[in-house]
Amino acid sequence: MNGASHRLVQVPPGVQCFVGAEARRRRRIEEAVVSVFEGWDYEEIIPPLFDYADVFATPGLAARTYSFVGRDGSLLALRPDFTSLLAKIAAGRLAHVAPPIRLYYSGEVLRYEPPKAGRQSELFQMGLEHLGGDSRAADAEILAIAGECLERLGIGGWVLALGHVGAFHGLVRALGLDATTADLLGQRMEAKDGEGVRAVLAGAKASGPAADALVRLSGLAGDRASLEDAARALECCPDAARAVAELREVADALAAAGLGDRVAIDLGEVRGLDYYTGLVFRVYARGLGFEVGGGGRYDTLLARFGRPMPAVGFMLGLDRVALLLERQQAPSADEGASAEAIANGGLGASLKQARARRAAGARVRFGGEAR
Amino acid sequence: MSLTVALSKGKLLGGSESLFRRAGLPFPDDPGRRLVVALDGLRFLFVKDMDVPTYVEYGVADCGIAGRDVLLETGSDVYEPLDLGFGRCRLVVARPRGLRGEARSSTLRVATKYPKVAGAHFLERGISVEVVRLAGSVELAPGLGLSDCIVDVVETGRTLEENGLEQVEEVAASSARLIVNRASYHARREEVGRLVDTLGKARS
Repeated sequence: MNGASHRLVQVPPGVQCFVGAEARRRRRIEEAVVSVFEGWDYEEIIPPLFDYADVFATPGLAARTYSFVGRDGSLLALRPDFTSLLAKIAAGRLAHVAPPIRLYYSGEVLRYEPPKAGRQSELFQMGLEHLGGDSRAADAEILAIAGECLERLGIGGWVLALGHVGAFHGLVRALGLDATTADLLGQRMEAKDGEGVRAVLAGAKASGPAADALVRLSGLAGDRASLEDAARALECCPDAARAVAELREVADALAAAGLGDRVAIDLGEVRGLDYYTGLVFRVYARGLGFEVGGGGRYDTLLARFGRPMPAVGFMLGLDRVALLLERQQAPSADEGASAEAIANGGLGASLKQARARRAAGARVRFGGEAR
Repeated sequence: MSLTVALSKGKLLGGSESLFRRAGLPFPDDPGRRLVVALDGLRFLFVKDMDVPTYVEYGVADCGIAGRDVLLETGSDVYEPLDLGFGRCRLVVARPRGLRGEARSSTLRVATKYPKVAGAHFLERGISVEVVRLAGSVELAPGLGLSDCIVDVVETGRTLEENGLEQVEEVAASSARLIVNRASYHARREEVGRLVDTLGKARS
Protein backbone atom coordinates (compact mmCIF):
# COMPACT_ATOMS: atom_id res chain seq x y z
CA MET A 1 0.00 0.00 0.00
CA ASN A 2 1.48 3.37 -0.87
CA GLY A 3 1.97 6.13 1.69
CA ALA A 4 -1.02 8.25 0.81
CA SER A 5 -3.66 5.52 0.98
CA HIS A 6 -2.11 4.22 4.21
CA ARG A 7 -2.62 7.66 5.70
CA LEU A 8 -6.28 7.56 4.76
CA VAL A 9 -6.86 4.27 6.62
CA GLN A 10 -4.76 4.32 9.80
CA VAL A 11 -4.39 6.81 12.64
CA PRO A 12 -0.79 7.92 13.34
CA PRO A 13 1.12 6.09 16.10
CA GLY A 14 0.42 7.51 19.56
CA VAL A 15 -3.21 8.50 19.08
CA GLN A 16 -6.25 6.31 19.58
CA CYS A 17 -9.86 6.00 18.53
CA PHE A 18 -12.61 4.46 20.64
CA VAL A 19 -15.99 3.27 19.44
CA GLY A 20 -19.10 1.81 21.06
CA ALA A 21 -18.64 -0.32 24.18
CA GLU A 22 -15.05 0.86 24.66
CA ALA A 23 -16.05 4.52 24.46
CA ARG A 24 -18.94 3.84 26.86
CA ARG A 25 -16.62 2.19 29.39
CA ARG A 26 -14.30 5.18 29.26
CA ARG A 27 -17.19 7.60 29.72
CA ARG A 28 -18.38 5.64 32.81
CA ILE A 29 -14.91 5.74 34.33
CA GLU A 30 -14.76 9.49 33.76
CA GLU A 31 -18.20 9.99 35.31
CA ALA A 32 -17.29 7.95 38.41
CA VAL A 33 -14.05 9.86 38.99
CA VAL A 34 -15.60 13.27 38.35
CA SER A 35 -18.41 12.52 40.82
CA VAL A 36 -15.78 11.85 43.50
CA PHE A 37 -13.98 15.13 42.68
CA GLU A 38 -17.25 17.04 42.94
CA GLY A 39 -18.09 15.26 46.17
CA TRP A 40 -14.98 16.84 47.72
CA ASP A 41 -16.10 20.28 46.53
CA TYR A 42 -13.71 20.73 43.61
CA GLU A 43 -14.81 23.04 40.79
CA GLU A 44 -14.46 21.97 37.19
CA ILE A 45 -12.15 23.95 34.96
CA ILE A 46 -12.00 23.53 31.18
CA PRO A 47 -8.67 25.03 30.18
CA PRO A 48 -7.63 25.82 26.60
CA LEU A 49 -6.27 23.09 24.34
CA PHE A 50 -3.20 25.16 23.48
CA ASP A 51 -1.42 28.08 25.08
CA TYR A 52 1.83 30.01 24.68
CA ALA A 53 4.73 27.56 24.74
CA ASP A 54 6.38 29.56 27.57
CA VAL A 55 3.73 28.26 29.99
CA PHE A 56 5.11 24.73 29.61
CA ALA A 57 8.78 25.65 29.37
CA THR A 58 10.03 23.53 32.26
CA PRO A 59 12.98 21.26 31.38
CA GLY A 60 11.03 18.02 31.80
CA LEU A 61 8.11 19.04 29.61
CA ALA A 62 9.64 21.25 26.94
CA ALA A 63 11.25 18.34 25.11
CA ARG A 64 7.97 16.45 24.96
CA THR A 65 5.76 19.33 23.82
CA TYR A 66 4.13 19.63 20.41
CA SER A 67 4.68 23.29 19.59
CA PHE A 68 3.76 25.34 16.56
CA VAL A 69 3.85 28.92 15.36
CA GLY A 70 0.56 30.83 15.62
CA ARG A 71 -0.76 33.06 12.85
CA ASP A 72 0.66 36.13 14.64
CA GLY A 73 4.10 34.55 14.94
CA SER A 74 3.90 33.58 18.61
CA LEU A 75 5.13 30.15 19.66
CA LEU A 76 2.22 28.01 20.86
CA ALA A 77 2.05 24.51 22.34
CA LEU A 78 -0.64 21.86 22.63
CA ARG A 79 -1.09 21.38 26.38
CA PRO A 80 1.33 18.65 27.55
CA ASP A 81 0.18 19.01 31.14
CA PHE A 82 -2.74 20.46 33.06
CA THR A 83 -0.86 21.52 36.18
CA SER A 84 1.17 24.35 34.59
CA LEU A 85 -1.91 25.57 32.78
CA LEU A 86 -4.03 25.59 35.94
CA ALA A 87 -1.26 27.33 37.90
CA LYS A 88 -1.25 30.08 35.28
CA ILE A 89 -5.03 30.41 35.39
CA ALA A 90 -5.08 30.45 39.20
CA ALA A 91 -2.50 33.24 39.20
CA GLY A 92 -4.21 35.26 36.47
CA ARG A 93 -7.89 34.79 35.78
CA LEU A 94 -8.57 33.55 39.33
CA ALA A 95 -6.28 36.10 41.04
CA HIS A 96 -9.25 37.52 42.97
CA VAL A 97 -10.24 34.11 44.41
CA ALA A 98 -8.96 33.57 47.96
CA PRO A 99 -7.09 30.33 48.62
CA PRO A 100 -7.55 27.46 49.05
CA ILE A 101 -8.65 27.01 45.44
CA ARG A 102 -9.89 23.54 44.50
CA LEU A 103 -10.04 22.76 40.79
CA TYR A 104 -10.53 19.58 38.78
CA TYR A 105 -10.15 18.80 35.10
CA SER A 106 -10.79 15.90 32.77
CA GLY A 107 -9.39 15.87 29.27
CA GLU A 108 -6.51 15.11 26.93
CA VAL A 109 -2.94 16.25 27.10
CA LEU A 110 -0.53 15.76 24.22
CA ARG A 111 3.05 14.73 24.71
CA TYR A 112 5.60 13.34 22.41
CA GLU A 113 6.19 9.81 23.83
CA PRO A 114 7.39 6.69 22.10
CA PRO A 115 4.15 4.63 22.11
CA LYS A 116 4.18 1.79 24.63
CA ALA A 117 1.47 -0.01 26.60
CA GLY A 118 -0.61 2.60 28.41
CA ARG A 119 1.68 5.36 27.19
CA GLN A 120 0.35 7.26 24.21
CA SER A 121 1.05 10.71 22.82
CA GLU A 122 -2.56 11.58 23.54
CA LEU A 123 -3.23 10.96 27.22
CA PHE A 124 -6.60 11.40 28.86
CA GLN A 125 -6.10 12.66 32.41
CA MET A 126 -8.60 13.14 35.19
CA GLY A 127 -7.10 15.16 38.00
CA LEU A 128 -7.29 17.94 40.49
CA GLU A 129 -5.20 20.69 41.99
CA HIS A 130 -5.42 22.05 45.52
CA LEU A 131 -3.86 25.53 45.59
CA GLY A 132 -3.02 27.33 48.83
CA GLY A 133 -4.36 26.43 52.25
CA ASP A 134 -2.72 24.20 54.85
CA SER A 135 -0.19 22.00 53.10
CA ARG A 136 -0.34 18.83 55.22
CA ALA A 137 -4.14 18.91 55.25
CA ALA A 138 -4.14 19.33 51.46
CA ASP A 139 -1.70 16.41 51.00
CA ALA A 140 -3.88 14.15 53.13
CA GLU A 141 -7.04 15.33 51.36
CA ILE A 142 -5.87 14.60 47.83
CA LEU A 143 -4.56 11.17 48.83
CA ALA A 144 -7.92 10.36 50.40
CA ILE A 145 -9.64 11.51 47.20
CA ALA A 146 -7.32 9.34 45.09
CA GLY A 147 -8.23 6.40 47.33
CA GLU A 148 -11.94 7.08 47.02
CA CYS A 149 -11.67 7.20 43.21
CA LEU A 150 -10.07 3.75 43.21
CA GLU A 151 -12.72 2.40 45.57
CA ARG A 152 -15.50 3.91 43.47
CA LEU A 153 -14.05 2.34 40.32
CA GLY A 154 -14.00 -1.06 42.00
CA ILE A 155 -10.26 -1.50 41.50
CA GLY A 156 -8.70 -4.22 43.67
CA GLY A 157 -5.25 -4.49 45.26
CA TRP A 158 -4.22 -0.85 44.93
CA VAL A 159 -1.58 1.02 46.91
CA LEU A 160 -0.51 4.64 47.20
CA ALA A 161 3.29 4.65 47.12
CA LEU A 162 4.36 7.82 48.91
CA GLY A 163 7.72 9.53 48.63
CA HIS A 164 9.11 12.99 49.25
CA VAL A 165 11.63 14.61 46.92
CA GLY A 166 13.00 16.61 49.87
CA ALA A 167 14.86 13.55 51.20
CA PHE A 168 16.91 13.06 48.03
CA HIS A 169 17.38 16.74 47.26
CA GLY A 170 18.28 17.53 50.88
CA LEU A 171 21.07 14.95 50.85
CA VAL A 172 22.34 16.01 47.41
CA ARG A 173 22.48 19.63 48.62
CA ALA A 174 24.22 18.65 51.85
CA LEU A 175 26.93 16.95 49.77
CA GLY A 176 27.20 19.90 47.39
CA LEU A 177 27.02 17.63 44.33
CA ASP A 178 26.98 19.09 40.83
CA ALA A 179 23.98 18.76 38.52
CA THR A 180 25.47 15.98 36.37
CA THR A 181 26.27 13.83 39.40
CA ALA A 182 22.84 14.54 40.89
CA ASP A 183 21.25 13.44 37.61
CA LEU A 184 23.22 10.18 37.53
CA LEU A 185 22.39 9.59 41.21
CA GLY A 186 18.69 10.23 40.50
CA GLN A 187 18.72 7.60 37.76
CA ARG A 188 20.34 4.97 40.01
CA MET A 189 18.03 5.99 42.89
CA GLU A 190 14.97 5.48 40.70
CA ALA A 191 16.25 2.02 39.80
CA LYS A 192 16.65 1.24 43.54
CA ASP A 193 20.21 0.27 42.64
CA GLY A 194 22.03 0.82 45.97
CA GLU A 195 25.34 -0.37 44.57
CA GLY A 196 24.94 1.95 41.61
CA VAL A 197 24.30 4.89 43.96
CA ARG A 198 27.43 3.96 45.90
CA ALA A 199 29.47 3.82 42.69
CA VAL A 200 28.28 7.27 41.52
CA LEU A 201 29.11 8.75 44.95
CA ALA A 202 32.55 7.12 44.93
CA GLY A 203 33.14 8.55 41.43
CA ALA A 204 32.25 12.03 42.74
CA LYS A 205 34.49 11.49 45.82
CA ALA A 206 31.50 12.10 48.09
CA SER A 207 31.59 10.40 51.48
CA GLY A 208 30.38 10.80 55.04
CA PRO A 209 27.02 10.39 56.73
CA ALA A 210 25.02 12.12 53.96
CA ALA A 211 26.57 9.83 51.31
CA ASP A 212 25.80 6.74 53.42
CA ALA A 213 22.26 8.04 53.87
CA LEU A 214 21.84 8.33 50.07
CA VAL A 215 22.83 4.68 49.65
CA ARG A 216 20.31 3.72 52.35
CA LEU A 217 17.64 5.91 50.73
CA SER A 218 17.55 3.73 47.60
CA GLY A 219 16.24 0.85 49.73
CA LEU A 220 13.89 2.83 51.97
CA ALA A 221 10.62 1.36 50.79
CA GLY A 222 7.98 -0.77 52.42
CA ASP A 223 5.03 -0.30 54.71
CA ARG A 224 4.46 2.61 57.07
CA ALA A 225 6.90 1.15 59.58
CA SER A 226 9.76 1.82 57.14
CA LEU A 227 9.38 5.51 58.02
CA GLU A 228 11.01 4.63 61.36
CA ASP A 229 14.07 3.29 59.54
CA ALA A 230 13.99 6.35 57.31
CA ALA A 231 13.95 8.76 60.26
CA ARG A 232 17.01 7.01 61.73
CA ALA A 233 18.87 6.75 58.42
CA LEU A 234 18.34 10.40 57.49
CA GLU A 235 18.75 12.14 60.87
CA CYS A 236 22.17 13.45 59.79
CA CYS A 237 20.57 15.86 57.33
CA PRO A 238 17.95 18.32 58.65
CA ASP A 239 16.26 18.86 55.26
CA ALA A 240 15.90 15.12 54.68
CA ALA A 241 14.68 14.57 58.24
CA ARG A 242 12.04 17.28 57.75
CA ALA A 243 10.87 15.52 54.58
CA VAL A 244 10.42 12.26 56.48
CA ALA A 245 8.54 14.05 59.28
CA GLU A 246 6.15 15.63 56.74
CA LEU A 247 5.59 12.28 55.09
CA ARG A 248 4.93 10.64 58.43
CA GLU A 249 2.30 13.23 59.35
CA VAL A 250 0.43 12.49 56.11
CA ALA A 251 0.85 8.70 56.36
CA ASP A 252 -0.41 8.73 59.96
CA ALA A 253 -3.47 10.75 58.95
CA LEU A 254 -4.27 8.24 56.21
CA ALA A 255 -3.87 5.37 58.67
CA ALA A 256 -6.19 7.08 61.15
CA ALA A 257 -8.74 7.40 58.33
CA GLY A 258 -8.64 3.66 57.62
CA LEU A 259 -6.26 3.75 54.65
CA GLY A 260 -3.21 2.40 56.51
CA ASP A 261 -3.14 -0.86 54.51
CA ARG A 262 -3.13 1.10 51.29
CA VAL A 263 -0.07 3.18 52.10
CA ALA A 264 3.37 2.16 50.84
CA ILE A 265 6.48 4.19 51.49
CA ASP A 266 8.95 4.74 48.68
CA LEU A 267 11.56 7.36 49.54
CA GLY A 268 13.70 6.36 46.59
CA GLU A 269 11.00 7.68 44.26
CA VAL A 270 12.59 10.84 42.90
CA ARG A 271 11.38 10.91 39.34
CA GLY A 272 8.43 12.74 37.97
CA LEU A 273 8.05 16.27 36.76
CA ASP A 274 10.80 18.58 37.86
CA TYR A 275 8.44 21.09 39.49
CA TYR A 276 7.69 18.75 42.43
CA THR A 277 9.00 20.06 45.74
CA GLY A 278 7.58 17.80 48.47
CA LEU A 279 5.25 14.81 48.64
CA VAL A 280 5.24 12.70 45.47
CA PHE A 281 3.13 9.61 45.02
CA ARG A 282 2.16 6.96 42.53
CA VAL A 283 -0.86 4.72 42.41
CA TYR A 284 -0.14 1.06 41.66
CA ALA A 285 -2.56 -1.86 41.43
CA ARG A 286 -2.28 -5.59 40.88
CA GLY A 287 -2.63 -6.50 37.24
CA LEU A 288 -0.97 -3.46 35.73
CA GLY A 289 2.81 -3.23 35.45
CA PHE A 290 2.96 0.57 35.64
CA GLU A 291 1.30 3.26 37.71
CA VAL A 292 -2.37 4.14 37.22
CA GLY A 293 -1.76 7.72 38.25
CA GLY A 294 0.13 9.90 40.64
CA GLY A 295 0.87 13.38 41.78
CA GLY A 296 2.77 15.59 44.11
CA ARG A 297 3.38 18.91 45.75
CA TYR A 298 4.73 21.85 43.72
CA ASP A 299 5.22 24.82 46.04
CA THR A 300 7.31 26.95 43.68
CA LEU A 301 5.45 26.60 40.36
CA LEU A 302 2.87 29.32 40.99
CA ALA A 303 5.59 31.89 41.67
CA ARG A 304 6.53 31.53 37.97
CA PHE A 305 3.15 33.04 37.18
CA GLY A 306 3.37 35.78 39.80
CA ARG A 307 1.24 34.35 42.61
CA PRO A 308 3.51 32.41 45.01
CA MET A 309 1.39 29.79 46.73
CA PRO A 310 1.92 26.18 47.83
CA ALA A 311 -0.02 23.61 45.82
CA VAL A 312 -0.55 19.89 45.40
CA GLY A 313 -2.32 17.82 42.77
CA PHE A 314 -2.82 14.39 41.32
CA MET A 315 -4.26 12.71 38.29
CA LEU A 316 -5.44 9.31 37.12
CA GLY A 317 -4.78 8.21 33.55
CA LEU A 318 -8.03 7.16 31.91
CA ASP A 319 -6.24 4.84 29.48
CA ARG A 320 -4.54 3.04 32.34
CA VAL A 321 -7.66 2.81 34.49
CA ALA A 322 -9.50 1.30 31.50
CA LEU A 323 -6.69 -1.20 30.88
CA LEU A 324 -6.59 -2.15 34.55
CA LEU A 325 -10.36 -2.66 34.82
CA GLU A 326 -10.30 -4.73 31.65
CA ARG A 327 -7.71 -7.02 33.29
CA GLN A 328 -9.25 -7.12 36.77
CA GLN A 329 -12.92 -7.46 35.91
CA ALA A 330 -14.88 -9.94 33.84
CA PRO A 331 -16.53 -8.25 30.87
CA SER A 332 -20.06 -7.30 31.86
CA ALA A 333 -23.04 -7.43 29.56
CA ASP A 334 -23.94 -3.87 30.47
CA GLU A 335 -24.95 -2.70 27.07
CA GLY A 336 -28.21 -1.24 28.32
CA ALA A 337 -31.68 -1.37 26.85
CA SER A 338 -31.98 -2.12 23.17
CA ALA A 339 -33.56 0.50 20.97
CA GLU A 340 -37.19 0.53 19.91
CA ALA A 341 -37.74 0.41 16.17
CA ILE A 342 -40.02 3.12 14.91
CA ALA A 343 -42.31 1.64 12.26
CA ASN A 344 -41.96 3.39 8.97
CA GLY A 345 -45.54 4.51 8.27
CA GLY A 346 -44.78 7.61 6.27
CA LEU A 347 -41.96 9.97 7.20
CA GLY A 348 -44.08 12.55 9.04
CA ALA A 349 -46.01 10.00 11.09
CA SER A 350 -42.89 8.05 12.04
CA LEU A 351 -41.04 11.19 13.05
CA LYS A 352 -43.99 12.23 15.20
CA GLN A 353 -44.04 8.79 16.85
CA ALA A 354 -40.28 8.86 17.40
CA ARG A 355 -40.47 12.28 19.06
CA ALA A 356 -43.29 11.07 21.33
CA ARG A 357 -41.32 8.00 22.36
CA ARG A 358 -38.22 10.15 22.95
CA ALA A 359 -40.24 12.51 25.14
CA ALA A 360 -41.21 9.42 27.16
CA GLY A 361 -37.51 8.62 27.57
CA ALA A 362 -37.31 5.64 25.22
CA ARG A 363 -34.21 4.81 23.18
CA VAL A 364 -35.39 4.79 19.58
CA ARG A 365 -33.95 3.68 16.30
CA PHE A 366 -35.52 5.72 13.59
CA GLY A 367 -36.42 4.33 10.21
CA GLY A 368 -34.92 0.91 10.84
CA GLU A 369 -35.25 -2.32 12.75
CA ALA A 370 -34.71 -2.94 16.46
CA ARG A 371 -31.19 -4.10 17.34
CA MET B 1 -1.11 -16.09 42.73
CA SER B 2 2.53 -17.02 42.36
CA LEU B 3 5.32 -14.67 41.37
CA THR B 4 6.49 -14.84 37.76
CA VAL B 5 10.23 -14.74 37.08
CA ALA B 6 11.64 -14.01 33.61
CA LEU B 7 14.98 -15.66 32.84
CA SER B 8 17.14 -15.78 29.77
CA LYS B 9 18.10 -19.03 28.13
CA GLY B 10 21.43 -17.47 27.26
CA LYS B 11 24.68 -17.09 29.14
CA LEU B 12 23.05 -16.14 32.47
CA LEU B 13 21.07 -19.39 32.78
CA GLY B 14 23.77 -21.37 34.61
CA GLY B 15 24.46 -18.59 37.12
CA SER B 16 20.74 -18.06 37.70
CA GLU B 17 20.21 -21.77 38.37
CA SER B 18 23.04 -22.04 40.89
CA LEU B 19 21.86 -18.85 42.64
CA PHE B 20 18.31 -20.19 42.98
CA ARG B 21 19.56 -23.57 44.22
CA ARG B 22 21.91 -21.94 46.76
CA ALA B 23 19.00 -19.83 47.97
CA GLY B 24 16.87 -22.96 48.42
CA LEU B 25 14.39 -21.76 45.81
CA PRO B 26 12.81 -24.01 43.19
CA PHE B 27 14.32 -24.07 39.70
CA PRO B 28 13.16 -26.19 36.76
CA ASP B 29 15.57 -29.11 36.20
CA ASP B 30 15.49 -28.99 32.46
CA PRO B 31 13.00 -26.63 30.89
CA GLY B 32 13.69 -28.28 27.50
CA ARG B 33 11.50 -26.61 24.95
CA ARG B 34 8.97 -25.40 27.50
CA LEU B 35 8.91 -21.62 27.77
CA VAL B 36 6.67 -21.41 30.85
CA VAL B 37 7.27 -23.67 33.85
CA ALA B 38 5.31 -23.50 37.12
CA LEU B 39 7.14 -24.96 40.10
CA ASP B 40 6.46 -24.78 43.86
CA GLY B 41 4.89 -21.35 43.95
CA LEU B 42 7.02 -19.72 41.27
CA ARG B 43 6.35 -19.40 37.56
CA PHE B 44 9.35 -19.21 35.24
CA LEU B 45 9.38 -17.64 31.78
CA PHE B 46 12.31 -18.49 29.51
CA VAL B 47 12.87 -15.74 26.96
CA LYS B 48 15.68 -14.12 24.95
CA ASP B 49 18.12 -12.13 27.08
CA MET B 50 17.28 -8.81 25.38
CA ASP B 51 13.57 -9.46 26.10
CA VAL B 52 13.83 -10.09 29.87
CA PRO B 53 13.58 -6.35 30.80
CA THR B 54 10.57 -5.94 28.50
CA TYR B 55 8.59 -8.75 30.17
CA VAL B 56 9.38 -7.22 33.56
CA GLU B 57 8.71 -3.60 32.54
CA TYR B 58 5.24 -4.49 31.25
CA GLY B 59 4.48 -6.51 34.38
CA VAL B 60 4.03 -9.82 32.55
CA ALA B 61 6.80 -11.02 34.86
CA ASP B 62 7.14 -9.63 38.40
CA CYS B 63 10.90 -9.96 38.34
CA GLY B 64 13.73 -11.28 36.24
CA ILE B 65 17.46 -11.65 35.85
CA ALA B 66 19.14 -9.51 33.22
CA GLY B 67 22.68 -8.32 32.51
CA ARG B 68 23.48 -4.67 33.10
CA ASP B 69 24.60 -4.56 29.45
CA VAL B 70 21.09 -5.52 28.34
CA LEU B 71 19.49 -3.00 30.73
CA LEU B 72 21.69 -0.22 29.37
CA GLU B 73 20.62 -1.09 25.83
CA THR B 74 16.88 -1.48 26.45
CA GLY B 75 16.66 1.47 28.87
CA SER B 76 13.73 -0.28 30.55
CA ASP B 77 12.00 1.41 33.45
CA VAL B 78 12.43 -1.33 36.08
CA TYR B 79 13.90 -1.53 39.58
CA GLU B 80 17.36 -3.11 39.90
CA PRO B 81 17.63 -3.82 43.63
CA LEU B 82 20.40 -6.46 43.52
CA ASP B 83 23.70 -6.91 41.76
CA LEU B 84 23.80 -10.71 41.70
CA GLY B 85 27.55 -10.84 41.18
CA PHE B 86 27.70 -13.41 38.38
CA GLY B 87 27.84 -12.98 34.62
CA ARG B 88 30.56 -10.37 34.97
CA CYS B 89 31.74 -8.88 31.69
CA ARG B 90 32.65 -5.53 30.18
CA LEU B 91 31.20 -3.58 27.28
CA VAL B 92 34.18 -2.29 25.31
CA VAL B 93 35.17 -0.52 22.12
CA ALA B 94 37.61 -2.67 20.15
CA ARG B 95 39.33 -2.20 16.83
CA PRO B 96 41.93 -4.02 14.69
CA ARG B 97 45.30 -4.31 16.43
CA GLY B 98 47.91 -1.74 15.49
CA LEU B 99 45.49 0.90 14.24
CA ARG B 100 45.66 3.06 17.33
CA GLY B 101 46.34 6.71 16.61
CA GLU B 102 45.97 6.39 12.87
CA ALA B 103 43.88 8.89 10.97
CA ARG B 104 40.38 7.71 10.16
CA SER B 105 37.52 8.90 8.04
CA SER B 106 35.37 11.63 9.56
CA THR B 107 32.54 9.24 10.38
CA LEU B 108 33.46 6.17 12.37
CA ARG B 109 31.58 2.98 11.49
CA VAL B 110 30.72 0.89 14.56
CA ALA B 111 29.31 -2.64 14.41
CA THR B 112 27.43 -3.77 17.52
CA LYS B 113 24.56 -5.65 19.12
CA TYR B 114 24.13 -2.60 21.36
CA PRO B 115 23.23 0.26 18.99
CA LYS B 116 21.83 2.56 21.70
CA VAL B 117 24.77 2.13 24.07
CA ALA B 118 27.29 2.55 21.24
CA GLY B 119 25.52 5.59 19.81
CA ALA B 120 25.32 7.31 23.21
CA HIS B 121 28.94 6.50 24.04
CA PHE B 122 30.33 8.20 20.93
CA LEU B 123 27.82 11.04 21.05
CA GLU B 124 29.08 11.95 24.54
CA ARG B 125 32.60 12.15 23.12
CA GLY B 126 31.52 14.28 20.18
CA ILE B 127 32.51 11.60 17.66
CA SER B 128 30.09 11.14 14.78
CA VAL B 129 29.43 7.49 14.07
CA GLU B 130 27.41 5.28 11.81
CA VAL B 131 26.10 2.39 13.88
CA VAL B 132 25.83 -0.94 12.05
CA ARG B 133 23.45 -3.18 13.94
CA LEU B 134 24.32 -6.89 14.03
CA ALA B 135 22.70 -9.82 15.83
CA GLY B 136 25.94 -11.73 16.52
CA SER B 137 29.54 -12.54 15.51
CA VAL B 138 30.29 -8.84 15.80
CA GLU B 139 34.06 -9.52 16.04
CA LEU B 140 34.11 -10.38 12.34
CA ALA B 141 32.94 -6.96 11.18
CA PRO B 142 36.19 -4.92 11.15
CA GLY B 143 38.25 -7.69 9.53
CA LEU B 144 35.76 -8.00 6.71
CA GLY B 145 35.53 -4.25 6.15
CA LEU B 146 31.99 -3.83 7.49
CA SER B 147 33.06 -1.43 10.21
CA ASP B 148 36.04 0.44 11.67
CA CYS B 149 35.47 -0.84 15.19
CA ILE B 150 33.00 -2.71 17.37
CA VAL B 151 31.22 -2.24 20.70
CA ASP B 152 30.68 -5.62 22.32
CA VAL B 153 30.83 -7.53 25.59
CA VAL B 154 34.03 -9.29 26.56
CA GLU B 155 34.70 -11.62 29.44
CA THR B 156 38.33 -12.67 29.01
CA GLY B 157 39.27 -10.89 25.78
CA ARG B 158 40.14 -14.19 24.04
CA THR B 159 37.58 -13.76 21.25
CA LEU B 160 38.88 -10.26 20.53
CA GLU B 161 42.43 -11.54 20.34
CA GLU B 162 41.56 -14.45 18.08
CA ASN B 163 39.93 -12.05 15.67
CA GLY B 164 42.83 -9.63 15.56
CA LEU B 165 41.13 -6.98 17.71
CA GLU B 166 42.23 -5.04 20.76
CA GLN B 167 40.29 -3.12 23.36
CA VAL B 168 40.46 0.66 22.98
CA GLU B 169 38.27 1.69 25.91
CA GLU B 170 35.71 0.36 28.34
CA VAL B 171 32.14 1.61 27.92
CA ALA B 172 30.63 -0.03 31.01
CA ALA B 173 31.07 -2.95 33.38
CA SER B 174 28.25 -5.46 33.53
CA SER B 175 26.96 -8.24 35.75
CA ALA B 176 23.66 -10.01 36.32
CA ARG B 177 20.99 -7.93 38.08
CA LEU B 178 17.76 -8.88 39.75
CA ILE B 179 15.14 -6.63 38.19
CA VAL B 180 11.64 -6.04 39.56
CA ASN B 181 8.50 -4.57 38.01
CA ARG B 182 7.63 -1.22 39.62
CA ALA B 183 4.01 -2.08 40.34
CA SER B 184 4.79 -5.58 41.65
CA TYR B 185 7.41 -4.09 43.97
CA HIS B 186 4.70 -2.07 45.73
CA ALA B 187 1.46 -3.95 45.09
CA ARG B 188 3.02 -7.38 45.94
CA ARG B 189 5.46 -6.04 48.48
CA GLU B 190 5.62 -9.05 50.80
CA GLU B 191 6.23 -11.75 48.19
CA VAL B 192 8.66 -9.62 46.19
CA GLY B 193 10.44 -8.50 49.38
CA ARG B 194 10.93 -12.12 50.46
CA LEU B 195 12.39 -13.08 47.08
CA VAL B 196 14.76 -10.07 47.07
CA ASP B 197 15.96 -10.88 50.62
CA THR B 198 16.43 -14.59 49.88
CA LEU B 199 18.40 -13.95 46.70
CA GLY B 200 20.36 -11.12 48.35
CA LYS B 201 21.60 -13.49 51.06
CA ALA B 202 22.49 -16.25 48.58
CA ARG B 203 24.38 -14.19 45.99
CA SER B 204 28.07 -14.86 45.57
